[in-house]
Amino acid sequence: MKVLRITPQRCTGCMRCEIACSYEQSGVFQPAKSVIRISPFEAHTSYAPYTCTQCDEAWCMVACPVNAITISPVGAKVILNDLCVGCKLCTIACPYGTMFYDPDTAKATKCNLCGGAPSCATACPTQAIEYVDAESADWLGTFAAERAETQLAQQA
Amino acid sequence: MQAELPAGYAGKILRVDLSQNRTWTEPWTAEMSRTCIGGVGLGIKILWDEVPAEVGWDHEDNRLVLATGPLAGLPAWGTGGLTVVTRGAMTNGATNTQANGFFGANLKYSGYDAIVLQGRAPEWVYLYIRDDTVELRDASTLLGKDTWETQEALEQMLDLTGHQLSVYTSGVAGENQVRFAAVHGDYGHVASKNGCGAVMGNKRVKAVAIVRGSKALRAADPRGLWMAAQEIAEDLQHDPSTRSLYEYGTLPGVSGLSRLGALPIKNYTTNVVPEGVDMTQWTAQGLREGFDHRGHQCNSCGMHHCHAQVLPSGPHQGAIVDEPEYEGWSGAGWAFGCTDPVATSWLNTQVDRACVDVNEFGWLVGWVIECQEKGYITREQLGGLTITWGDAEAANALLQMTIRREGFGNVLAEGVKRASETVGGPAAECAIYALTGNTPRGHDHRARWEEMLDTCTGSGGTLDSGPPVLPTEMGQPARINPFDPDAVARMVGGTRGRRQFEDSLGTCIFTTRALLSTLCRTLSAATGWDFTKDEALLFGRRTAALMRAFNIRCGITPDLERPSKRYGSVPVDGPAQGQDIGVHWEHLLDVWYDTVGYDRQTGKPLPATLEDLGLSHIVADLWDAQEATHAGT
Repeated sequence: MKVLRITPQRCTGCMRCEIACSYEQSGVFQPAKSVIRISPFEAHTSYAPYTCTQCDEAWCMVACPVNAITISPVGAKVILNDLCVGCKLCTIACPYGTMFYDPDTAKATKCNLCGGAPSCATACPTQAIEYVDAESADWLGTFAAERAETQLAQQA
Repeated sequence: MQAELPAGYAGKILRVDLSQNRTWTEPWTAEMSRTCIGGVGLGIKILWDEVPAEVGWDHEDNRLVLATGPLAGLPAWGTGGLTVVTRGAMTNGATNTQANGFFGANLKYSGYDAIVLQGRAPEWVYLYIRDDTVELRDASTLLGKDTWETQEALEQMLDLTGHQLSVYTSGVAGENQVRFAAVHGDYGHVASKNGCGAVMGNKRVKAVAIVRGSKALRAADPRGLWMAAQEIAEDLQHDPSTRSLYEYGTLPGVSGLSRLGALPIKNYTTNVVPEGVDMTQWTAQGLREGFDHRGHQCNSCGMHHCHAQVLPSGPHQGAIVDEPEYEGWSGAGWAFGCTDPVATSWLNTQVDRACVDVNEFGWLVGWVIECQEKGYITREQLGGLTITWGDAEAANALLQMTIRREGFGNVLAEGVKRASETVGGPAAECAIYALTGNTPRGHDHRARWEEMLDTCTGSGGTLDSGPPVLPTEMGQPARINPFDPDAVARMVGGTRGRRQFEDSLGTCIFTTRALLSTLCRTLSAATGWDFTKDEALLFGRRTAALMRAFNIRCGITPDLERPSKRYGSVPVDGPAQGQDIGVHWEHLLDVWYDTVGYDRQTGKPLPATLEDLGLSHIVADLWDAQEATHAGT
């Protein structure tokens, strides 16, 4: 399977992935609509992208009361807009905070891997986001274990 | 029916009257967007229309224009652009100075292409922008905070982190209207020239805080835009002439310029690297790898340019600082004889946090050290401070007294030109400045004649043309003899216009070092225009001429277009030893004036030049009818 592998140490916080994602998802450049987000760490010195890992547990699917989340041919959990009633239960169920709600459409929104060619990975100038073959989508555990040792510095 | 505003634009200009506590928006017209584009093109139009001769830099009717451009917020590299345009404190004339970070993107996602500040707030305020919510808020709790502290405080107050909030402030230097105060934002990005921060302080605006907005930007041809952006990125990454910039930003400057005699050392008293200095730590790789570092890029930028770093040793070990630009290594280091990268890196961020122009700071400190060494300035005058070559801690003490205008700091706060004139005597002859008040960049321009000419003739408080980018595209030779006055003046005049075009797009000037035709294609894809290279240069030269006209109206005359005695002196050693620009100065000006089509006697753009540039409507403002008939003949 192919997954979005994120290497936070490479991220420089340029936010280009958000611009690309919003364009792919909505046709306009509007990072507020992006379903990949950049989060700052260690004050303003480090950044990391986060988006849906397409995790096996798929709490969003379990929580959805109207079965509006399904699995696409590329393995992405995707929202069926015709069915979504905008109840936001999936945004509460997701342990990673990567289910979003779009107030303009009144529906949930999330990473759909752009149908198999994720634009965030293409746009990222530092290869912090890559779309690669992997045995498991769970890169977060490894990252969390290693993170403490890679901090740039503790701000006073 | 009015034509629709092109894609790429947010669509509105945000107006703020600080005296009246009033904000409103003005729409662009399609015609105005094409003739002004944005950035300095828009800013100088506003200055010309709204800032008459009697409104000096510190008059409340002065305008402070914080402008982006049509590419800001779009996916080309480096599109966080902010161009500051105002009547500045150093020259009391036009200002064109750029910073990056996320200002431009956040502002456009909020729905605005530019902010125009006018008036003066009765009490200190900060401008808060979150989409349609625009408020002047009490800034009393921010007073006394440096630039980083101001941003941190606003992040806490507004409960926002990272690039969700862009904060630009003029720091403590701006509060005290230090004449070379800058505008700083997003931890390390500085619009530093011509005292634009002093104008911000004069208006009692502590900061502008922009929440990353939620509105949409469109491109007329999105696929074309992505492709053009990719082409620029590929070029920057792979072309040998841009690759070092891509990999190391401006870090290669120190070792590169030292080999040309263009690295300023100890207030222009020498061009020879002192014995014992390990220059391997001053190579680009040495400066990057000598520190624990991490990328800290601007909006949508893939350059390995801006970085955060940690001081590995010394009294401030462990402090997080912004990796200095070349200008920082120079101004906060070599210019006053500091050859320790760690001390320089620390001091550079102190300068950013204090919020003054690092170039002017370097000339100022170098001048004070030389004057104290020679007995022109006493220890008592400096409040008991002894400062010797290379002492970064003492330089910081000078910085702190300067930004607070304490003691002799009140004299230093006026910048090295005015401070040296105040002290007078032999001290006046040691100071590095252009007579217009422009601050030279951090080079020894005695070995870089193009930039000395550009600095002295520039209308925007710094270089007007800048280092040539792909000059053959503008009909100029690929390479010139840097000490041939004819070639130098033709190159500076002949490349005029490109920089003003770049400064109007809403992008960083480092990510526009590509073919002008490619930049035009990017702009066309964003807006739907059929913008050509010729139109870009016409636009740029029109903008430059309007800046020049504004300065003429402000009383800045050609007799000021020369270097100070030290700035224009002859190098006594090093690679440029003996090269004397002074003997060629009048000739340089003659050729430059002839190349750009301005009048050598009055400095005014000639009537024919104005007409060629589409500025016939200002001919009568600059020339009386009789003069106009004879001008240029």
